[in-house]
Amino acid sequence: MKAALLLPVFASRDAIGADVLGMLDCLTARGIETRIFCDGRDDVATPTHPVSELLRFAGGPDDLIVYHYSIGWPEAIEILRKARGFRVVRYHNITPPAFFEGISPLHVDTCSRGRAEIPVVASLGCELYLADSSFNGGELVADGAPRDSVQVLPPFHRVEELLDREADLALLDELGDGTFNFLMVGRVAPNKGHLDLVDAFATYVDRFGDDARLVLIGKTDVHLRAYEMAIHERIAQHRLGHRARWLLVASEAELKAAYLASHVLMLLSRHEGFCVPLVEAMAFKLPIVARACAAVPETIGDAGIVWPDADPLLFAASANRVLHDRELQWRLQERGAARYRAEFAPARLQERFVALLGLAR
Amino acid sequence: MSSARAENAASDANDSYLAGVKAEIRADADAARMRAPLPRKEAPPARSAERLSHDGTIDRARLDYSIAELTGDHYTAFVDAAFRALLKRPPDEPGLDAQIRLLAAGAPKAEVLGNLRYSPEGRAIGTRVRGLLPRYALAKLTRVPVVGFGLNWLIAFAGLPLMLRHQRAADTRNAAQFLDAQAHAGRIADDVRGTNARVDGVRGELGEASARLAQLTASFDERVGTLDARVGETESRLGDVPSLRHYVHAVNHWLVSLQAAIDGIEGASDANRAHADALIAAVHDASEVAAARAARQSAWIAALRDRIGARARVVELGSGDGSFAAALAGLGADVAGFESNGVLARRARERGLNVAAGDPMAALARCEDRSLDAVAVSGPPAGDGLATLLAEAARALKPGGWLLIAAGEPKRLADLANGRVAMLDRPIASALLGAAGFAVDTAFGGPDAVLARRA
Repeated sequence: MKAALLLPVFASRDAIGADVLGMLDCLTARGIETRIFCDGRDDVATPTHPVSELLRFAGGPDDLIVYHYSIGWPEAIEILRKARGFRVVRYHNITPPAFFEGISPLHVDTCSRGRAEIPVVASLGCELYLADSSFNGGELVADGAPRDSVQVLPPFHRVEELLDREADLALLDELGDGTFNFLMVGRVAPNKGHLDLVDAFATYVDRFGDDARLVLIGKTDVHLRAYEMAIHERIAQHRLGHRARWLLVASEAELKAAYLASHVLMLLSRHEGFCVPLVEAMAFKLPIVARACAAVPETIGDAGIVWPDADPLLFAASANRVLHDRELQWRLQERGAARYRAEFAPARLQERFVALLGLAR
Repeated sequence: MSSARAENAASDANDSYLAGVKAEIRADADAARMRAPLPRKEAPPARSAERLSHDGTIDRARLDYSIAELTGDHYTAFVDAAFRALLKRPPDEPGLDAQIRLLAAGAPKAEVLGNLRYSPEGRAIGTRVRGLLPRYALAKLTRVPVVGFGLNWLIAFAGLPLMLRHQRAADTRNAAQFLDAQAHAGRIADDVRGTNARVDGVRGELGEASARLAQLTASFDERVGTLDARVGETESRLGDVPSLRHYVHAVNHWLVSLQAAIDGIEGASDANRAHADALIAAVHDASEVAAARAARQSAWIAALRDRIGARARVVELGSGDGSFAAALAGLGADVAGFESNGVLARRARERGLNVAAGDPMAALARCEDRSLDAVAVSGPPAGDGLATLLAEAARALKPGGWLLIAAGEPKRLADLANGRVAMLDRPIASALLGAAGFAVDTAFGGPDAVLARRA
């Protein structure tokens, strides 16, 4: 038996890259020869192979193909149609294009084409549809995937590596100046709700306290420059310029320092297929305040304060309570750590991944 | 199962706890909504920012402005508003910098507006600014060498009356603003006085609170003192524990020593007993004694041969090395022997005989009532022991069963060691047996022995 992990672009530092590497380790450790096939790669040391070679490598009836589906890619659909082995579609979700309207025509087009493929992929009759969350699984079922073949497995991640890494001391010193740090981790994209976050943060400053800092970590995209400018503008409107600390390209050491020095993770995303930063926050025992949308509530479980409302005062009041109520802090930290161990620890994910492959066979 | 239940219960408790917290947070949010914002460290927002960006968007649909609308603000606010109105976007850094430099160099605002409006980007958008074109053209003309200088002079001369009127109006406005400022300063002074009064009030409250805090601190200190004293008492009690432990160890040591002493005594007793048994065995083995014993036992066997049947159940008390038991077994009897001398009992067992080491009288006491055909006793006990023997033999023998009592061997040293009576007084023995329910067989005239039958 051979296994192929298929994705359009492989980057080790994004969530999908971490998921691919986790599957690679898991399958290789069990003696299965596994290769990664992609069209493009970025900053990775792991060997990859051209997509054109996939079927020669793992196209047989005893082989396994896992397609990481997060964007429109007709080539992958053709490969899945031709493959004769065990086919797994790993669905990471595709952001609805409406979020990019008026900001990036390129993103609107890419996301539209990606979502248009959901019914096609769902009707391929693959042996297993593996969703990051029940929310993602629901989208597949709604678009025609057989309910019995859809299973949920949280994505593999690099949290353990992050826990083991040295924190950036300079950033740790900078953030550890006694100011309350509100942390947001996520790429700079309209579905991440940065504008709502800035509003909530400004409300906290105006209504509850003065000594607070907003730490924003996430990659920017040149095509989403207008959104990025809008965030800057909103920060300026609220006169929060000197309170906002941007780390657009944070190293892992800086990311760890940010988690260690922050007091609350504020996530006001409007759409998330899973959200790995929530898992990182749980592992680092960082209390979470978040908006209940898409897969966020099921990812957090009872380890955070979640509101379906968009009222910035609610989020500000929640942060204020978390920052000043030691018992609440302790409970959220303990529940987060316990949830990480029970649901998201690498050993747990590996065990479930292998079981799902075995069950499906 | 119990751990799962406990986990569920903990989860439910956590859920209800979080629900309670969220209800309180919602109440906090509602309360915060009603109160005024806290003072900020930051400077108040610029007017233009407030006006243009209430909703964070740019009015892209509006394509018609007057110059007055766009020139109300100054410096960066003016440039920012111009970019948003004419280019429908916030200023980029180089663009903002260039226009600010123009203003700083004394350029009129109309020139800045014109630069933006008639740039390629501004033309593409096409926003209309009424009256801008002639002013922009004039502004540009004033930049032409020599002609521009003269033009500037002309404009300045032409504008002098207007400037004087503006100057007088400005003086009036400044005077009015000065009066307003004085009034405002008066109000601020009132506010400061009011604030001072409130501060004094708060200071008084703070003093009271300090006094209460001092009382609480004293009470707390007192309680801490009491607690310290109790802790001290407890510690002193705990201090006894090591000595108690020492006592326990001492008692334990004493008990171990006692046990060792008892073991020593018992060991000595066992050694003495073994030594005595060895002595008796030595006497038992003496050739003259053995020969006499064999002669006596032959006579007894001869007497019993006609009196007990085959497979008769016989108990022998004081079996010695088992020689008599062996002879009885030779008659076909089922013999069980008991010998208090461990050395002799071992020898008997080594000969394949059923002879146990132990107290013969205790063995007889364990026999069932009327279960034996014969009891043979070698060396009966004296005094109460003899009475007990007769009573137990009468109980255990079947009616008509035989009791053979031998006085034992004339082994003085052994008798001394065991405290036994060495010789039988036949008249007394006969009287005793008769009293105990036995009839002495007078036909049996064996040496040093008497044979009696259970009635």
